[in-house]
Amino acid sequence: MSKDSQMRAAINQKLIETGERERLKELLRAKLVECGWKDQLKAHCKDVIKEKGLEHVTVEDLVTEVTPKGRALVPDSVKKELLHRIRAFLAQHATL
Amino acid sequence: MKSDETIQETFSLSPKKKKYPKLNVLSVMSPAGCSHVNGYKVDNWKQNLRVIYQCFVWSGTAETRRRKAKSCICHMCGAHLNRLHSCLYCVFFGCFTKKHIHEHAKNKRHNLAIDLLYGGIYCFVCQDYVYDKDMEQIAKEEQRKAWKLQAFETRPSRLYSLESTGIGEKYTTWEPTKRELELLRHNPKRRKITTNCTIGLRGLINLGNTCFMNCIVQALTHTPLLRDFFLSDRHKCEMQSNSCLVCEMSQLFQEFYSGHRSPHIPFRLLHLVWTHARHLAGYEQQDAHEFLIAALDVLHRHCKGDTIHDNGKKANNPNHCNCIIDQIFTGGLQSDVTCQVCHGVSTTIDPFWDISLDLPGSSTPFWPLSPGGDGSTVNGESHLSGSTTLTDCLRRFTRPEHLGSSAKIKCGGCHSYQESTKQLTMKKLPIVACFHLKRFEHSAKLRRKITTYVSFPLELDMTPFMASSKESRMNGQYQQTVDVLNNDNKYSLFAVVNHQGTLESGHYTSFIRQHKDQWFKCDDAIITKASIKDVLDSEGYLLFYHKQFLEYE
Repeated sequence: MSKDSQMRAAINQKLIETGERERLKELLRAKLVECGWKDQLKAHCKDVIKEKGLEHVTVEDLVTEVTPKGRALVPDSVKKELLHRIRAFLAQHATL
Repeated sequence: MKSDETIQETFSLSPKKKKYPKLNVLSVMSPAGCSHVNGYKVDNWKQNLRVIYQCFVWSGTAETRRRKAKSCICHMCGAHLNRLHSCLYCVFFGCFTKKHIHEHAKNKRHNLAIDLLYGGIYCFVCQDYVYDKDMEQIAKEEQRKAWKLQAFETRPSRLYSLESTGIGEKYTTWEPTKRELELLRHNPKRRKITTNCTIGLRGLINLGNTCFMNCIVQALTHTPLLRDFFLSDRHKCEMQSNSCLVCEMSQLFQEFYSGHRSPHIPFRLLHLVWTHARHLAGYEQQDAHEFLIAALDVLHRHCKGDTIHDNGKKANNPNHCNCIIDQIFTGGLQSDVTCQVCHGVSTTIDPFWDISLDLPGSSTPFWPLSPGGDGSTVNGESHLSGSTTLTDCLRRFTRPEHLGSSAKIKCGGCHSYQESTKQLTMKKLPIVACFHLKRFEHSAKLRRKITTYVSFPLELDMTPFMASSKESRMNGQYQQTVDVLNNDNKYSLFAVVNHQGTLESGHYTSFIRQHKDQWFKCDDAIITKASIKDVLDSEGYLLFYHKQFLEYE
């Protein structure tokens, strides 16, 4: 594993251990609902299902179709806030 | 750990013989799960599944979190990302995106895996996620358990003393109960809310100078949180008689959102008001502000049945009630009295439902403020050649005031009577802030109405008036650096009550906001569309603002 991915794995472990990962996930979820992202994506999912047909569509289809749009639609303010939180967390656990 | 170990052996449960599922042909997806799942449901499968959820999906305790952090990596490539899945038949973790778990499933003929991010069960034969009722039940329970544990766990750290991880209760989407399904079937009429839908708008007949009541009713029925409370039937009446004002409010909301366009006749409401607030009875014109406070008071008293039980204790303390009225309207006003000699500060915090603001032109001197100067562009109000703004009034309200030599306060530090200054600031902001512009002067000398134009904004930031912002104010700086991430103090205007005429004879009307950007003028039974300009140009007597962002407690 490269040094970069080693670092990522270490940070991820710390986030899980302290429960911070769950908190961040919940914060992200709330922010994405607030800004309407969830509704936008939900509508897109419905479109994909209509297109592919309810009988034939799989979760995998939805993930493939919806992921790029989902990533692009996250507002900068939400990204900023999450980054802010993660930075604060890293500063607090400087021994990493 | 050898990847061939069964879950039971790994976690020291009673060892059983290894079992492998029979290979079945692809089956049609149904909400009752697939047939391959039934192959898994043997022996002690429920307990096994629970263990997997507790250890690797929703880890509630510090110990399980540590284990999860260490062990949840792909057994083939070591990555912790890529939608990691765990095999349900043995201890194997693999990436979904890189198909490592797929390889494992093929090689070992272990056809079921669980998504460690969301807990979904994947069947490799059906090639899709499957939804088995029993498994979903287990998943739901384990998730709730883990959340509960996390909410009450305390986390010691170097920088802070014991601090709760506090996420609160997990959000779950609404699922109708049997009874609700029945009701939905028996009431098939559906109403679609479009942007130009007028539901929630209804005129009110004037029963004889009752416009003071009508305009307040319009404001209350358009308070979003209050509307949501009543439309979701949250009031549980504990009053024996028929004189519960909260029940009547509930009825009123039903009337307003019924879709009827004819004006409503609020005779029952009027009668209840006369019963519970005697000072407002009679056919003369009353003060709308007085009515608002009286109504909130009666509603608050009648809400006893709805107070939220905190750990089993009922909130019967009138100062710490948790009824819907308090949750929405009650704020905390901080009063700091500073002794001029020893500079000791005595602080009290009092609850408030509204903020009454003095206006220039009244007998009490208004602080002269230069228009357009130092920070008066806060809240983007227009300063038309010397006109006063709401912000000006708030600044005056929260300024330090010398109490004078005739009003010395007994200082606890000096143990004697000293001159002091007093300052009011907002300690806690309510969800709905109501500003009362004191236009009616009832002093010993004269009784008159102050018609000075006060401009008020559509969006209001209360940060400068908070107790926490007090230090910068003492230095005479009114320009606060706007914290982009702190949305706690931002408010939006949603209702305005206006008075036309004189003190002796006048008429109340209101503007209310609908669907975010549409405004309507309510003049008793007549509702007309209004522009934002109409609203902001109006004189303004009672201004209702709603917090833009709501935080969980």
